[in-house]
Amino acid sequence: MRFSRFRIRNFRSIVDTGWNNLASDNITGIIGQNESGKTSILEALYSFYTGIISDDILRSDLSLPIIYCAFETNVKQFNKILGQKKIPDIITKSIEENGMITIIRRWNNDKSQSFGFGDDKIISYFKNQLNEIKNFEARTGKEILNILEESKKATEEFSQAMQEKTEEQKLLSHLESRLPKVQRAFDRSPGKENSNRLEKITLELERSKKRFEKKSKAFDLKSARATELAEKARWAQWCMDAINGYEKIIEESESSLRELATLQKQYDSLIIQREKKRLQNKIDFAYNRYIENQTALEKAGKLVSTRKAVTAKILRGMDPEEAETLVDKEMERRAEYYTERELAEESFKHIPVFEMFEDFSSLLPNRIDLDDIFADNSHVEGYKAARNFLIVAGLDEKFFDVQDNRILKQKIEKLNNEVALNFQEYWRQNLGKENKIQINFELEHYDFRHPEKMGRPYLEFWIKDAQERLYPKQRSRGVRWFLSFYLELKASAINNKYRSRVFLIDEPGLSLHARAQEDVLKVFEDIKEDIQIIYTTHSPHLINMSKLYRLLAVQRAVENDMKSETVLFDAKSLNEASTDTLSPIYTLMGTKLSDHQLIKKKNNVIVEDTTTYHYLKTLFSLIDFSKEIFFLPATDVLNVPTLVNLLIGWKLDFIVMLDDDKDGNLVYNDLKINLFHNNEKMAARKMIRLDDMNSIEDIFSTIDFKNFILHQRVGITESNSDYIENNNLSRTHLMSNFVLHVQNNNIRFEDFDEETQENIAMLVQKLDRVLD
Amino acid sequence: MDYYKEIIYEQDLIAKISEQKDEIERQQKELEESLRYAGSIQSALLSEERTFRKIFPDSFILFMPRDIVSGDFYWIYRKKQMVVVVAADCTGHGVPGAFMSILGISFLNEIVSREIPKANIILNRLRENVMKALHQTGEISEHKDGMDIALCICDFENMELQFSGAFNPLYLIRNGTLIEIRGDKMPIGIAPTEEKSFTNHIFNIRKNDIIYIFSDGFADQFGGPDERKFRYRPFKELLVNIHKQNIAKQKSFLVQKFHRWKGDLEQVDDVLIIGFKIY
Repeated sequence: MRFSRFRIRNFRSIVDTGWNNLASDNITGIIGQNESGKTSILEALYSFYTGIISDDILRSDLSLPIIYCAFETNVKQFNKILGQKKIPDIITKSIEENGMITIIRRWNNDKSQSFGFGDDKIISYFKNQLNEIKNFEARTGKEILNILEESKKATEEFSQAMQEKTEEQKLLSHLESRLPKVQRAFDRSPGKENSNRLEKITLELERSKKRFEKKSKAFDLKSARATELAEKARWAQWCMDAINGYEKIIEESESSLRELATLQKQYDSLIIQREKKRLQNKIDFAYNRYIENQTALEKAGKLVSTRKAVTAKILRGMDPEEAETLVDKEMERRAEYYTERELAEESFKHIPVFEMFEDFSSLLPNRIDLDDIFADNSHVEGYKAARNFLIVAGLDEKFFDVQDNRILKQKIEKLNNEVALNFQEYWRQNLGKENKIQINFELEHYDFRHPEKMGRPYLEFWIKDAQERLYPKQRSRGVRWFLSFYLELKASAINNKYRSRVFLIDEPGLSLHARAQEDVLKVFEDIKEDIQIIYTTHSPHLINMSKLYRLLAVQRAVENDMKSETVLFDAKSLNEASTDTLSPIYTLMGTKLSDHQLIKKKNNVIVEDTTTYHYLKTLFSLIDFSKEIFFLPATDVLNVPTLVNLLIGWKLDFIVMLDDDKDGNLVYNDLKINLFHNNEKMAARKMIRLDDMNSIEDIFSTIDFKNFILHQRVGITESNSDYIENNNLSRTHLMSNFVLHVQNNNIRFEDFDEETQENIAMLVQKLDRVLD
Repeated sequence: MDYYKEIIYEQDLIAKISEQKDEIERQQKELEESLRYAGSIQSALLSEERTFRKIFPDSFILFMPRDIVSGDFYWIYRKKQMVVVVAADCTGHGVPGAFMSILGISFLNEIVSREIPKANIILNRLRENVMKALHQTGEISEHKDGMDIALCICDFENMELQFSGAFNPLYLIRNGTLIEIRGDKMPIGIAPTEEKSFTNHIFNIRKNDIIYIFSDGFADQFGGPDERKFRYRPFKELLVNIHKQNIAKQKSFLVQKFHRWKGDLEQVDDVLIIGFKIY
């Protein structure tokens, strides 16, 4: 999968670069002044690959970095890579349409990061899907809480109703037991008092009976409701248990992450290896716990989702068993498809490996502590180069574990004779005389002159050729750079046998003289088939004049304001970049031609040759064209790209006009691929083709060609251009015939026939569309 | 003796004459046969009236060559909603005209092979082809052969008709009125002045419009009481008079009228009239 374009947001001085295409021929140069943000771009791309960011990349507005990288692929290849599950149709369609996939890396406040996948359309597809699930789960969560609440309330009401019913029953029983006594008393002496008592108790009894009836009914209702809600609440509680469990695991997970971070901080502050090793055990333990928690969290999350889905169905009246079966099926169906994260993670495994090469860490040092290499202290000078060397030599930590120093030295001596490096293995050109070189290394120990490190081992490097053996820093900068770059290439080839690679190279020419810088470009050319190169530079020697389409220009939005954001310009809009940014190109070209007013800033139309130029100039003098137009002749169609490059370099706007013949189409496609990233729409804004015309003479009807150019009465059945070619006529001579004829006979536009007029009108229309 | 000699000489002479007569008759027969064969080839090249009627159900082609082969030809070509109809009259009649007509047909086929250009562009290109084939460059000694032509393109999608003519016109009868669209006064072939583009006439057509294109054979035919040419004005009147009639009847009426006018006089030239009604 070729890395084809990128977009960086919220990374140091970068707010949003927008999408930027990489050069189609695998070498992309990023030019710009110091502090313009060139290195930030490389670092952002490297962070995309490693997932690691440092505190200093965060912007003051605390917006978090998001990096998008797109990689070329096709449906067949993508299906092959991601064969485990089903791929949503929207993704297959997008790959079919665009021929690429986009992987997004986002960082969170705690510097943790996550992957995203796809373009805006795909992102919103997944977002909608996720929102639907989230909304559903939120709704169900609310519903569950309501049910539990209602059920609790219903149980309370039921208890109260029961109590009231029991109390009423007691009262009723009491009244019923008293009534015979009162009746008997009244029977015995039916006085007024007894009569009143009987009447009262009878009334009370009737009232109590009615009340009891009412309370019984209420009790029945409350009982039914409580029973019904209790069943629902049972399922709600079942779901709630899962939610509570999940929340508990979240807490545990957060605490284990905190613990891990604290331990890591402690570890970083330690210097003594023994202490570090001891702490490492604790870190490993904490890390395992964190991982366990993460797994448990994922499992618990799934359980919550399943239970919520089942409960929601039950609450809507579905049979619990049926609901469970249905949800299982739904989950299975959902699990058959890749999720956004899975897509990104799986695809990520197949993108090229990104390697960063920068002078400080990647140049071979004179010496480096063994502890620093194996403790991965990447901030130590020459760390990466030393590590690369060990990979190339096939050495790991165990090699140095040998206790007997004599044996170790013998082994090293043997190795020193074996590890000879041959530059030509990677690039064809001879770079100076130094194509065969040996790196020697020695294992030494610090003595009393370095009391803080006394007794600690370090590696010492030597570069040896036929003549001499010197420390790396004693050799020319060129030798050191190429050697280190070679080590990087070789080590990365060993580590990544089956994956393509992207090399991010910061200021490769910084310490090299002009000739060596040009050699760097040669090396890039040689390895570009295998490795995509993205490099930063402000050296003119690292720019290929004939390939300005490879450049991206970087500058601050407000010139010289280091607080303003970084903006990027691609090759076709280089003319919008500032003069300072483009200074390497100007240096390369000599002077700024646009200042000399030889060519205009805008509306320059590059045509294939001087003949075309004169025809068009004469024709356009006959018509009333509303825009200013400046035709610029190339010396031949194949030189059109050179002229385009010059105009880009001079910051001049241009339009290219090409014949619809073999060479014209070849140049059109070359420029389209290199300058416009194979985008027909973009290309059509800067290039026009003379449709069905092999040369400009075909703009005339046969009759006009005969009358105005050829001045001969002869039957012509082929196109004018074919007639010229078949009869070996001189185009220049014919063109001068035409120019003179127009001048001497005061020819007007109306004198051409309808066919010619229509052809010219069509050309004018095309130009009108593309000119400013 | 002299008497016998004379008799023998006379007998020899008679035999010789009779032999020569036989030879001439044989040659005449061969020539006729070969012409008839050429004629069948020519008619094979011309579209059948039947095919024309498939495109224009109300139409006729009146084609009366003066000799076995003809210098007049017609050509019909259809692509999607566009139909090109040509009535052409090559220089001369008989064999030379026939050769020219074959050239004309093959050039026309070639010109429209990719797409149908505008009517005038077809004529411009046809002229280039003829000039090239006959090596015409404007020199005095060269052949000045060519053709007069009436070419129209019916565009049924836009209900539009394009017409371009080399000398020959087009008659359109609409609501009983005849409208004449004249061709340019230049031939298909070399002309005394330098080539100019033919004019492309474009006009809308309506249902029931009747269009006639033709060669000059009918109007130039000598006959009638004064043995003079039929001429164009009576030809126009004739068409106006018959245009309402059924199209098949129109054809037979024109044939009858032609024969009646010609009487015992010889047919002067090939006759070609194409008529069709827009549906």
